[in-house]
This record gives sequence, C-alpha cells and structure tokens, in this order.
Amino acid sequence: MRLLLLLLLPCLLIAGSAAATAADPPLRVTTDGPEYCGQLHARVIAQPGAAQDPARSLAEEGLRLCDSGHSRTGIAKLRRALRAAQGMS
Amino acid sequence: MGPQPGFSPPLIGLLRSASGRFALLFTAFFAAAATAAAMVLWWNTAGALDRQVEAAIRADATALVERFRAGGQATLVAAIEERIALDVQNESLYLLQGFDGAMIAGNLEGWPSAVEEEFAWLRMPLLRDGTASEGRLLRIDLAGGLRLLVGRDVAEKLRLRALLSEGIAWAASSSAALALLGAWMLRRALEDRLRPVYGTAEAIGAGDLTRRVPLSEREDEFDRLGATMNAMLDRIAQLMAGVRGVSDAIAHDLRTPIARARAKLEEALAEAPEDAPLRAAVEQGIADLDNITRIFQAVLRIAEVEAGSRRAAFAPLDLVPALADVVELYEASAEAAGQTLTAALPAQLPLVGDRDLLLQAVANLLDNALKFTPPGGHVRLSAAVEPGSVVIEVADDGPGLPAAQRARVGERFFRADAARSTPGSGLGLSLVRAVAVLHGGALLLADTEAARTPPGLTVTLRLPGA
Repeated sequence: MRLLLLLLLPCLLIAGSAAATAADPPLRVTTDGPEYCGQLHARVIAQPGAAQDPARSLAEEGLRLCDSGHSRTGIAKLRRALRAAQGMS
Repeated sequence: MGPQPGFSPPLIGLLRSASGRFALLFTAFFAAAATAAAMVLWWNTAGALDRQVEAAIRADATALVERFRAGGQATLVAAIEERIALDVQNESLYLLQGFDGAMIAGNLEGWPSAVEEEFAWLRMPLLRDGTASEGRLLRIDLAGGLRLLVGRDVAEKLRLRALLSEGIAWAASSSAALALLGAWMLRRALEDRLRPVYGTAEAIGAGDLTRRVPLSEREDEFDRLGATMNAMLDRIAQLMAGVRGVSDAIAHDLRTPIARARAKLEEALAEAPEDAPLRAAVEQGIADLDNITRIFQAVLRIAEVEAGSRRAAFAPLDLVPALADVVELYEASAEAAGQTLTAALPAQLPLVGDRDLLLQAVANLLDNALKFTPPGGHVRLSAAVEPGSVVIEVADDGPGLPAAQRARVGERFFRADAARSTPGSGLGLSLVRAVAVLHGGALLLADTEAARTPPGLTVTLRLPGA
C-alpha cells in the first residue's frame, strides 16, 4: 500500500493542482499585447535618462520587436529600458 | 473455479514462509524510507517554490496597502502601473476594482468570477498572448469598496514542478523495482542458507543419523544454528550408540554361559535315566536356550549390518536363482500350514550387494508373512526391475499393520499389538530394514488390499539396481 502511495504521490499532486484551475475560464493578461508597447514606450521616453544608452538602444530595440509582432519580447526590452532610464540595474 | 487442493496463491505462499515475511518487511521499510525521502524532497523543492511565490505576493500586497493608506487611490494606481512597467520577469499580476465594479488599474482583463469571499488565495488560468498559463492571486479588500488582486504568473514554476514530479515518479518506480528485487534476493539468500539444514533434518528423519549440517566459514547465525544442530545430533548418536552397545554387549557376553548351560543340559540328557518328565523338561530347557541364542545372534547380526562392515563384501549378483531357492524352501512349510505361496520373478534381478544378507532379509519377510497369514491364505513374492532400482515385494493376507505403527517397524524388539500372541522376537524386520539401509535402499509397508478386512500387508524392499 505504501509502495502504491509512493508511486501515485506525484500524480496525485499534479492532478490536485490542475483541478483547482480547471473550472474557470482563463483571464486574459492585458500587458502582453502591442497596445501596451506604446504605453510603455511613452513611459520610457518621459524619463530624464531615456536619451542615454543603454536605455535608448533598449527602447528602440523593444519598439522594433513590438512592431515586428514579437510583443512579449519587445515589452521585456522596453521594461529594461525603463529600468535603465530610471538608473536601476 | 476454486483453487486446486494443495495450491496456494503466490502472496499467501510468500506470507507463510518466514523468509518471505522478512523480505516483505524489508520491502515495506524500503518503501517507507523512499516515501519519506520523496516527501522531504517535495517539501524542499516544489513546496519551497510555492511558499516563495506566496511570500513575494504577500510582501507586494502589504507594500501596496501601505501605499494606499499613505496616498489614497491615486498613489495605489501609480504604484501598480509602475510595478507592471518595471516587471522585467513579466510575472506580476494586478487588478484594482472600484466599488462600482469598474476596472481602475492592473493588467488583468476582468475580475474573476470564481473569487469567493471566504478565500483570500486563489489559482486562476491565464491567457497570455494566446498562450495558456496559470496565476496565483491574493485578494485584498480596501477601504471605500475597492478590491485589489495581487498575484504572480506561476507557469514556469509549474513546469519545474511537473519535471520534479516526473523525476520523483521515475525514482519511485525504480525504488519499487529495486525493493522487490531486494526482497526476492533476500528470500533466496535465506532459503539457500537454510536448505542444508532442511536436507540434514530430512535425512535424519529418514533414518540416516550420520548426516550433519554442512558449515560455511562465515561463522554467522546460520553456522551457529548448524553447529548447534550438529552438536545435538552427535549427542543423540552417542547416546544411541551407547544403548546399542549395551544390548550388543549383553548378547555377546551371554552367548558363552548360555552355550555352557546348553552343553550341560545335553550332557544331563544323555546321562539321565529314562524318566520321561525329566527328559521333557531338559529338552524344553535346551529349546528355550536355543531360542535365546537365536535372538542374540539376530541382535549381533543387525549390529554387524548397521556397522557397515559387510559393505566390503558387496559384489554384482543376480538374485533370481536365490529367490527361487528361498521360495522352494518355504513352499513346504506353507503347504503344511494350508497356505499358498506363489512367486512372480523376472528373468534377472541384477544388483550389487551381499547375497547372504539379501536372502536372509527375503527369508525374514516370507517367514513373517507366512506366520501372520491364516490357513488357506495366500502369500505372494514378486520382484521387478524398475529404472534405477530393484523392487522385491512380499504380500500376505494377514491382519496387516495399522499405519500409525508402520513407522516403528525396524525398531529392535518392536512387535505390533496384533502380533503379541504369535511367536517371534521383533527382530526380523529390524534386520530387513538394516539390510535395506546397508544397500542404500528402503523398506516400505502398505496394505495389500485396503478395502478388504483384514487388509493384509505388503512389504516392499526397494534396492538400487546394478
């Protein structure tokens, strides 16, 4: 019996975590799309350090990625640009 | 269909065996240890990830609540937007809902319908740029009817947990297989170590008192058990040899005085006057002494056979002519008693042994059979050659022998209850058994016809073939 439980434990745990999420329709995250690229870019360029590298180059690259359809990667670059512009590591 | 007689399922067979139970106990301990290890591993990895996420969410939520308390709704909205904008990991989830249900800030499309008042924590499926994911969220009610959700995307952590689960499942399967293999090996090892003990006990039970438990050089528990058994068997053999030696010594030492007394009686008979009652008494005395001498000779003969010294005289022989002579010898006495003695002998009975002892054994069997068969009864001597052995059978119509007493046949001076009234010493079958053992054979007893009353007795002498 213990052996059986040992074998089933991981399956039960996986099944348990899945069951909690299966009942509801998924919530859409609004900050993954191209519209958020624009908002984020506007926030970057509003920063005093936005004209300096690496914030500037990161922001340009992020915008380019967003324009080419890679929104999530572009948003990640823009977030790095914002951090750089704010002087954060 | 029910289980067949004598068949037990493997698990029941395993539980009945002590080595099987040890093996199962070993498996259970191994499984318990593996379960404990898996639980500790799970607690320290997947559990730690969950606790880490929840701690981060709680700290974030506490900071936001502090900001709300310090600066109101506008400060809270600015803080949420800043957190979302700076979230390089792209894991943060926020939603601020007004008292009227309107979405004020955050990156979730709407307030989840599954949020229940009594639970602060919830898991929600997410849709991120068309990709399914999962979020862990904490609900906080703020002043003014505002409601806040703070959470993290845990998809990466779930993937890590799935990998970990898979690893644990594989490890558990391997552990189970190893535990079963270990149990099987343990059972096998125990059985291998105990097999010589079984073998020795069986041989002793079958009458071979010379067998001893072979010992390994490991000097472990099994060697100690074997050594203890051997010491016990040595002691038993010593005691039995002592008893046998006393009876043999009595038989040997009394032969001379008996012979002397017999000679004096013979002398007295020759010189005695023609007094019929006195002569009869002296003749009876001589007959009694002859009987005592025969018993002593039989005891000494058995001792000689059991000592094995006659084995040196073994030679290849064909027993058929000798058996025919014995049958001819006993036919006359059988006929005189109104009995029928028949023989069914093959063309040859090749074996290696002592002709005189074998004939003595067969003669004893025939003598016994004729003694217990009533007038008009039938005694049958048959012999056959079987693969690897020669079988000689003597079947009679006598009272037979109860199964409970058959095991005692072969003991010196043993006489069955029904045989008390017939003349005899209880040494005839002892000699037959000693001859059988000397030749590496066996003496078997069975009813001639179990359904008949009396059932009769069939004595089988099974000897190794040449």
